[in-house]
Amino acid sequence: MVVTAILFAACTNGGNTTENKIAASASDSAISQTQITAPQPLKAASVNDIVSAYLNLKNALAADNANDAAAGGNAIVSAVSGIDTTSFTATQSRIYNDAIDDIKEHGEHIGANAKDIAHQREHFDMLSKDMYDLAKGFTGSQTLYKDYCPMYNDGKGAIWLSETKEIKNPYLGKKMPTCGSMKEEIK
Amino acid sequence: MIFAAIQFIQPGRNKSEQVLPVNISKLYAMPQNVETIFQKACNDCHSNNTNYPWYVTIQPMGWLMAKHIKDGKAVINFSEFGYYSKRRQISKLQDIANTIKDGKMPLPFYTWMHADARLTANEKALITSWLIKTKDSLDNKN
Repeated sequence: MVVTAILFAACTNGGNTTENKIAASASDSAISQTQITAPQPLKAASVNDIVSAYLNLKNALAADNANDAAAGGNAIVSAVSGIDTTSFTATQSRIYNDAIDDIKEHGEHIGANAKDIAHQREHFDMLSKDMYDLAKGFTGSQTLYKDYCPMYNDGKGAIWLSETKEIKNPYLGKKMPTCGSMKEEIK
Repeated sequence: MIFAAIQFIQPGRNKSEQVLPVNISKLYAMPQNVETIFQKACNDCHSNNTNYPWYVTIQPMGWLMAKHIKDGKAVINFSEFGYYSKRRQISKLQDIANTIKDGKMPLPFYTWMHADARLTANEKALITSWLIKTKDSLDNKN
């Protein structure tokens, strides 16, 4: 009986691909609907929460702590998922929409690589460029500093954002904590 | 008995000879030797056109392959690279270069069965330098 059913499935498989696809996309949208109706945090997340999570991640990398860095990456992802974009200006929406998928993807990679700090730093490099663009569009609540490390990336250099003037290099960590310089104050 | 029965359940194939204008090789000038590396080491799981080995017809190998292709394309699909925003293209080019340099890609699971997908140091240097060059050219258009 089971074999007959399997045979039947096998024979109909070829012609049914479109239907399968429709069924698959229907279940996909069912999933995204569950996500939307899932319990939300009491207060919706703001861009500040993304920035805070990023700064925690940055400090964890500066301390060579891959586990805390992973937690920071995951915090970025959850802040992005819970964000309230209703108060954004048109320019802010444009900046946000351009950068946010990338920010989320880097957060996911960093969160999933708690055992590989080198890989976390590779994503942190790309994430920092997105965060810089985002910070430029959402100024006002916190002064941030754009710092520059000339040594990372085989001497090509990399930037990061910091909440303090003091340099704490997230790329080189405890090996060379004060390497780098402040390039810009973002108010 | 079960082994015999599951042979009848063949997953659909990831096969499209059509090269779209959003294909990475159409978007950016790609030398033949770089394209060869993409074809032999990347595109089986990261494009719309898999070059299937004979054992795809043996289950559960075919299912495993279908899963790898689905997951691979979700992360990066070179056949539809132009659908990513410029920012994500830049990110992805850098990320691909990193993962190749770090030896994370192609997956050991894949190179175990595909000897020609094991990249030599020379091939790694060739493809990563192309990726970074392409990324830099996009970066500079800002």
